[in-house]
Amino acid sequence: MENRPLEYDYTVAKLFMYNAIFVGVAGMLAGVILAWQMAFPQFNYILGVNFAEYTNFGRLRAIHTDSVIYGFVLSAVWSSWYYIGQRVLKVSMAESKLLMFVGKAHFWIYMAASVIIVIGLQLGITSSKEYSEFEWPIDAGIVIVWVLWGISIFGLIGIRREKSLYISIWYFIATFLAVAMLHIFNNAEIPTYFASGGIGAWYHSVSMYAGTNDALVQWWFGHNAVAFVLTTPIIAMIYYFLPKESGQAVYSYKLSLLAFWGLMFVYLWAGGHHLLFSTVPDWMQTMGSVFSVVLILPSWGSAVNMLLTMRGEWQQVATSPLIKFMVMASTFYMFSTLEGPIQAIKSVNALAHFTDWIIGHVHDGALGWVGFMVIAAIFHMAPRIFKREIYSRSLMSTQFWIQTLGVILYFTSMWIAGITQGMMWRAHDEYGNLAYSFIDTVVVLHPYFTIRAVGGTLYLVGMFMFAYNMYKTMTSSRVIEESELQNATPMGA
Amino acid sequence: MFHWLEKNPFFFAVAVFVVIAFAGLVEILPNFAQASRPVVGAKPYSTLELTGRLVYIKNNCNGCHSQLIRPFKSETDRYGHYSLSGEYAYDRPFLWGSKRTGPDLMRVGNYRTTDWHENHMKDPAAVVPGSIMPAYTWLYKNIADVDTAYAEQLTVQKFFAVPYNKELPMADGSKVTVALADTLEGARASALEEAKVVAADMKDQSVKDAVAAGNVPEIVALIAYLNRLK
Amino acid sequence: MNKTVLAAIIVTISMLGFTYIAVGSAGGMGGEDWVNKLAVLGAVVLVLVTTFVVTKYVRQMQNDTAGGKLADESWDGIGEYKNEPPFGWAVVYFGMVIWAIWYFLAGYPLNSYSQIGEYNEDTAVLDKKFEAEFAGILSNPEKLNEMGESVYNANCAACHGLQADGMDGKAADLHVRLSLQSVKHVLMNGSNSNLLGTSMPMPDRNGLLNTNSNALITDAEIDTVSKYVAGGFKGEGADVFAGTCAACHGADGKGMEMVAPNIAEMSPSMVEMVLNHGKKGAMGAMPAFTNLTEVQRKAVAAYVASLSQK
Ligand code: HEC
Ligand code: HEC
Ligand code: HEC
Ligand code: HEM
Ligand code: HEM
Ligand SMILES: [Ca+2]
Ligand SMILES: [Ca+2]
Ligand SMILES: [Cu+2]
Repeated sequence: MENRPLEYDYTVAKLFMYNAIFVGVAGMLAGVILAWQMAFPQFNYILGVNFAEYTNFGRLRAIHTDSVIYGFVLSAVWSSWYYIGQRVLKVSMAESKLLMFVGKAHFWIYMAASVIIVIGLQLGITSSKEYSEFEWPIDAGIVIVWVLWGISIFGLIGIRREKSLYISIWYFIATFLAVAMLHIFNNAEIPTYFASGGIGAWYHSVSMYAGTNDALVQWWFGHNAVAFVLTTPIIAMIYYFLPKESGQAVYSYKLSLLAFWGLMFVYLWAGGHHLLFSTVPDWMQTMGSVFSVVLILPSWGSAVNMLLTMRGEWQQVATSPLIKFMVMASTFYMFSTLEGPIQAIKSVNALAHFTDWIIGHVHDGALGWVGFMVIAAIFHMAPRIFKREIYSRSLMSTQFWIQTLGVILYFTSMWIAGITQGMMWRAHDEYGNLAYSFIDTVVVLHPYFTIRAVGGTLYLVGMFMFAYNMYKTMTSSRVIEESELQNATPMGA
Repeated sequence: MFHWLEKNPFFFAVAVFVVIAFAGLVEILPNFAQASRPVVGAKPYSTLELTGRLVYIKNNCNGCHSQLIRPFKSETDRYGHYSLSGEYAYDRPFLWGSKRTGPDLMRVGNYRTTDWHENHMKDPAAVVPGSIMPAYTWLYKNIADVDTAYAEQLTVQKFFAVPYNKELPMADGSKVTVALADTLEGARASALEEAKVVAADMKDQSVKDAVAAGNVPEIVALIAYLNRLK
Repeated sequence: MNKTVLAAIIVTISMLGFTYIAVGSAGGMGGEDWVNKLAVLGAVVLVLVTTFVVTKYVRQMQNDTAGGKLADESWDGIGEYKNEPPFGWAVVYFGMVIWAIWYFLAGYPLNSYSQIGEYNEDTAVLDKKFEAEFAGILSNPEKLNEMGESVYNANCAACHGLQADGMDGKAADLHVRLSLQSVKHVLMNGSNSNLLGTSMPMPDRNGLLNTNSNALITDAEIDTVSKYVAGGFKGEGADVFAGTCAACHGADGKGMEMVAPNIAEMSPSMVEMVLNHGKKGAMGAMPAFTNLTEVQRKAVAAYVASLSQK
């Protein structure tokens, strides 16, 4: 059995990959528009004043966050699942008609839900909760999509040939379970149309929780949505793609183990760091702070494990842009998982909360860690799915440097903006009065907002290069043999 | 043991679930009953105010504005008394926000007025030079959805015993009753009455005309909501 | 020097430089606010630790060789070494876990921190400090004026504008006592803004008798006298004023105690009344500003009154 090459079926992986690339470009375009709107408010009326209702910052913001997180990232995660799952479990989707059907249903129902979400957000249909803006009909759709994914995971595991589960599978399972739990609790709501006997909008609902409780549940969700959508599945990806691409064995099983179980336990406690100095009880806030600091270790465990997997392999880092993306991703992962805990220290949060420093933190994680890892995953999978080499190595390399510069401009400008703003809000003048009116603190940020917009635009330019490179890879680059697909991904000049 | 779990996916999944569910149980549950008790002075939203709150949510004002005053001198100087848990007892959903691109609005009703909002929402930069807030011109044309707000009022009254039509004690010793109509027509009429009070302080003729014709433009509802944030 | 180390040093220095510039421009360096200092320290630690650690692993990529005992499994060709975790990492990890457990069970419960308690202490300290510093400010007009300007900028500029010109009639122009529009509005509708500290109203046109003609004030007279008042008691209209208004506002318009306010000049006491009660008129409404302290109110009143005297 050992060496019989299995014919893996990538139909579903392919579909999700197309969507990841498309939504990646579209969602980040929305982000770039947001960034320019904050520097130059005229961009709110980019399609004219009559369309400002649909193009203004408020409406676009949720479209940006939801489409990059649940469109770009989740699609890439699922593409990776439908790719990695088969390979590390040693079983092909083609072996089960049921799983094939489930996979396709998963994709198409997800697509239908995505389209409805975007239209809904454009129209202003939202429940206001960050990263959970959806009204109850969509919430229900999400449950269906999620259950289908669950069937796929446990179905594939059920018919596996590889007895023990690879690290990536641990993280996929954790992602599945945690998001299921969080989504259900955070969306406990009552549809008002039915409760009132048929009055008003049919899709509207009201939260089961009020005020402080609602906040508590929302940030228990919000923090862990970050953990289980922007972190654990991405770790699942890097644990497969980096060793596979480099041909190196994972540095330490024990380190994987400690990091995994530590992360599972600690992450859920840390949500309180979004509510520091709010009206939730002091002890919960303090626990949020304390566990955030502890969280550095399990987070860094994975990053260190990956960096050490590459020990002695500098020539690969130097020559392969694909490996560069992954090493840089690990680096940004370390950076943001140290930055997060620092911002979670109560007195630092007193300054940083509500400022752009948080936005900087979000994006060095989202762009540097998540974005780079997603890009690397797709670069690795595409030649194996389409049986063609990567169209252009030099384009890929240029993309890497442009995007790295973009991320650096993004987070340095937001870091400065945030600290400046935080200090100005706090400042009293010599008479004991506030030293600055609010608008003073807005106006000083203009240069930093502009720099951020430039950085974001560079990153977007990189995304276009990526999309073009992938398009060429799928359609017209050199066709390759199975034997070229062992480790390092084949690339054209 | 861990290696055993890795070969037994079912038990692996159970173990992961137990580990991740633990923190939620310890952190969230104990506080639930206590945190939702209203403070003296908190009162439910009237029909028009709630309509305005839906306009606020619809336009994602919470993407730029917080409604949470933290206990620091710099914040209480700028925005007023720090927030108390019980003040949010009728907020479903909560609107604390997580980013202050614009100022906190928790108590904006204390230091801004109808006409100011009218000018500002139409063209923020004309009122506050350098403002990066978008101009919300469409709010002056769109008609607000009073019905959905009323449906929400009925729902919270039924499921969460929100005290409509009941005397509530205020901080200054007075009593206030927030009325809730028994019929949809009644609710529309009372929202319109509230709207007339707001529109009387406004200058935009088309808004005044709309209210006179029995409609409630979104801006009127929104201002009613902003004025009540105290 | 190794290229990697050099790059790390450059990154560190430039990040720290940026931070220094930012903090400097926000006045955080010299300040006494220890929250500012801690945040900056956090930022510095973040840069230093990340560059240090990443440089360490990059050097290992450059210089080490891979090795160790491989596990039995191999997943899609991926192997796994049975290496021990890095020692430093493991020690800190277990140290942190123990610290967290200690903090949960003993550290936090014993320290009984309260954020509101901290707020009360901080505020008391700050209030004392400013009180001591400005004990004599009420008798020092220059300082009082400066303080008033600082109150003005933080609280009033949003409506009256940085130039206090009322921004095109959106709020009162504070350089003049009254606009034409306001005077007319008052004559048509009366006024009841507590300007005297009591709810003594000014009658509307139906209560304004012109003693010269012994008839209620006419449209034409309203026009003239409004221009006269808004124009600083110059030009036409003196007769109407004398006949209709002087009885209450005095011949020079400077008002009479407990009868009618000064409508010729902006006086500090009038501004204080506006701050205490708010004001609603032709341009719109202004809320009361009772959150300001007594000294702040006196200061801004002095400042606003001084604007029209220039
Ligand atoms: C792009 C971000 C942004 C959005 C979206 C936004 N605002 Fe603002 N808002 C600001 C900024 C910046 C300021 C401060 C400058 C100013 O006063 O215009 C502000 C100020 C305000 C103020 C004045 C508060 C004060 O204390 O002076 C109010 C009231 C307000 N906004 C209401 C709203 C409402 C209601 C919405 C949604 C319909 C909204 N804002 C949407 C950015 C925004
Ligand atoms: C019966 C006494 C009386 C007469 C006569 C009278 N006033 Fe007044 N006036 C008052 C009082 C009292 C107030 C203060 C009302 C308040 O607190 O708003 C006042 C306020 C005003 C104000 C408003 C000041 C402000 O800052 O808003 C104006 C303008 C004014 N008077 C102009 C006139 C003019 C012009 C006339 C004559 C045509 C006149 N008044 C006649 C009693 C009078
Ligand atoms: C929300 C907007 C707003 C704010 C904030 C505000 N004002 Fe006003 N103010 C107004 C408006 C509008 C008027 C004009 C009312 C009228 O039509 O008579 C006014 C009138 C006044 C007047 C009366 C002028 C006159 O001659 O009748 C004074 C004095 C004044 N403001 C001082 C202040 C001071 C001092 C502050 C800050 C502590 C302040 N205002 C803050 C809106 C505001
Ligand atoms: C050790 C790990 C981490 C910790 C302790 C942490 C901590 C924090 C803190 C303290 C905040 C700010 C809360 C506030 O004041 O508003 C925050 C916000 C955020 N972080 Fe992290 N962070 C970590 C890792 C990450 C990673 C890897 C990402 C991936 C992208 C990420 C994404 C975000 C996002 C999206 C927000 C914004 C949430 C909001 O909308 O307010 N974080 N984090
Ligand atoms: C070209 C790239 C991007 C640009 C220019 C960009 C820009 C922006 C802007 C301007 C905001 C609003 C910030 C504010 O309200 O002050 C924002 C918010 C956000 N973006 Fe992006 N973005 C980009 C890519 C991404 C990606 C790839 C992700 C996730 C994978 C992401 C996740 C988020 C999140 C979670 C928020 C909300 C942060 C918060 O509320 O704290 N962004 N982005
Ligand atoms: Ca929902
Ligand atoms: Ca946020
Ligand atoms: Cu978090």
